This record gives sequence, structure tokens and C-alpha cells, in this order.
Amino acid sequence: MDTIIIMCIGIIVGRFLFTDRMKKGNEYISLTCTFLLIFAMGVMLGKKENFLQELSSLGLYSFLFFAIPTILSIIFVYMLTQRYLLNNKSNKKKELEK
Amino acid sequence: MIVILTLLSLFLGLACGLLNLDHTIISWISQNTDYILYLLMFSVGISVGMQHGIMTKIREFHFRIFIIPLGIVIGSILGGYICSVLLQLPTRYGTAIASGMGWYSLAGATISNLVNADLGSIAFMSNLMREIFTFILIPFLAIKLNSYTCIASAGATSEDTTLPMILKYTSEEVVVLSVLNGIICSFFVPILISIFLA
Repeated sequence: MDTIIIMCIGIIVGRFLFTDRMKKGNEYISLTCTFLLIFAMGVMLGKKENFLQELSSLGLYSFLFFAIPTILSIIFVYMLTQRYLLNNKSNKKKELEK
Repeated sequence: MIVILTLLSLFLGLACGLLNLDHTIISWISQNTDYILYLLMFSVGISVGMQHGIMTKIREFHFRIFIIPLGIVIGSILGGYICSVLLQLPTRYGTAIASGMGWYSLAGATISNLVNADLGSIAFMSNLMREIFTFILIPFLAIKLNSYTCIASAGATSEDTTLPMILKYTSEEVVVLSVLNGIICSFFVPILISIFLA
């Protein structure tokens, strides 16, 4: 929860106090923090016992977490857009033709 | 370039961990990940707050702009739930991982800090795969299904990394929706992860 609160504070600061000139600086901060956290994640993983032996199961888990959410996202978007975006467009076209 | 640097950070960290290097800087980073995460969240918030014109676009497109992000969020969370059942993980972990919606660096870093490095690495790799495979999927989705499903595959990356590919295989209208979708999904990624791991 505290991460959401901090992000919301950031939104307010970005909306009212930041100018476009500061955008680049903010991007560098964001990237640097990301790299540091990924590095720390790597350190923690590397220190684990049996990390190399567990690598293949990590890979399989990752593949499933990529494949199933992606496929379901595609299915849901397809169904919703067919119904509410493309269907609306063809109805409007028919009305214009009338 | 950013993908290369991110992978480099990961491999460097892995190497330091495997070799058990105990330098002051490495220890400092490892012990202060909470504060680094807070700074990252603050910076992400600033980026979101600096987005101009989104309210104008909402008025122009009305609520149609939320159809695609809604489908992506529902599909991703449901997919994460199914994965957690299949892999016998706590469902909140599965849904948190899937809530990355392609934003591999933030998802991996946040989950690693809030839970553990194993889950963080799964979040990192799965969302990285989502971004990479989207480049391959876009042409097929545009032809076999509809242009909007290209955005679905991209998730939160549809406003930047995968946008050129989406532009190549779809229309200008879809590109506008793609950018808006990216902004909306990017806004929800840290919120959903935090909610599921609260």
C-alpha cells in the first residue's frame, strides 16, 4: 500500500510541479533505480543454494506466466472489440447508408 | 538498448551473488532496496502525472479507450490465477506476476522486493517474454484476428517498445488507442501488484 501512496504523491508532483525540461532527469532516476533493483535481485538469486539447478523450473514457470495471461488477454480484447468497437463501426456505417 | 542494460544488470548481480562478492556498494544496494523501490515508485508517479492530453483524448474517444485495457487487465489477472493454480503457488503471487502486463523491469524489481527474488525473476522473465514474443505475434494477430489484439499482446509496452511494430501492421486510429492503452496499463501495473501483495 505504501508504494501506491508514494506513486500517488509522485503523480501530484509530476502534474503540478514538474516541467517538460525535468522529464529527462526523471527518466534517468527511474532507469537507475530499475537497474539497481534488478541488480539486487540478481545478487539474491545468485546467492541461493541450488540456483543453477532450479534455473530450468524457473524458465518453465516464466513461460507459463507469459503464455496463459497473454493468450487470455488476446481473447478478451478480441471479444470486447468485436462487440463494442467493430460492431459499433458497422452499425454507424449502415445508418449513414440509410 | 534498455533491454541490454537491464539484462546486464541482472547478469552482473547474478555473477556477484554466485561468486559471493561482499563489496560495500553491493551490500548497501542489497540492504536498501526498499528505499530504492520507493524512489522508483515516486519517479513512475511523476511520469504518469506529466502525461498531458489524456483527459482530452478520453473526451474524444469516450469510454471506448478503456475497452482494450479492460480486456488486457482481466485476461492477465485471470491468466495469472490459472497459472498459480497449475503451479500450486499462492493465487495472489500469480496474479501479481501477471499484473506486470509486459513491464518486465518494474514487475521484476517490485515483486523481488515485496516477496522474494525467485518470484521477482519469474515476473521479470515472463514479462520480458511477453514483450519479445509480441514482436513476433503482431503480424499474425493483425491478419488472423483484428488490429486491436496486437495491443492486447503488448500490454503496457504498447505505448513505446512495441508501438513501431503496431504502427507497421495496423492503422493510425489503432496507434492512438495503443498509446492510450500503454499509459492506462502502465498506471495500473504498480497499483495491481501492490494490491495483490498487500
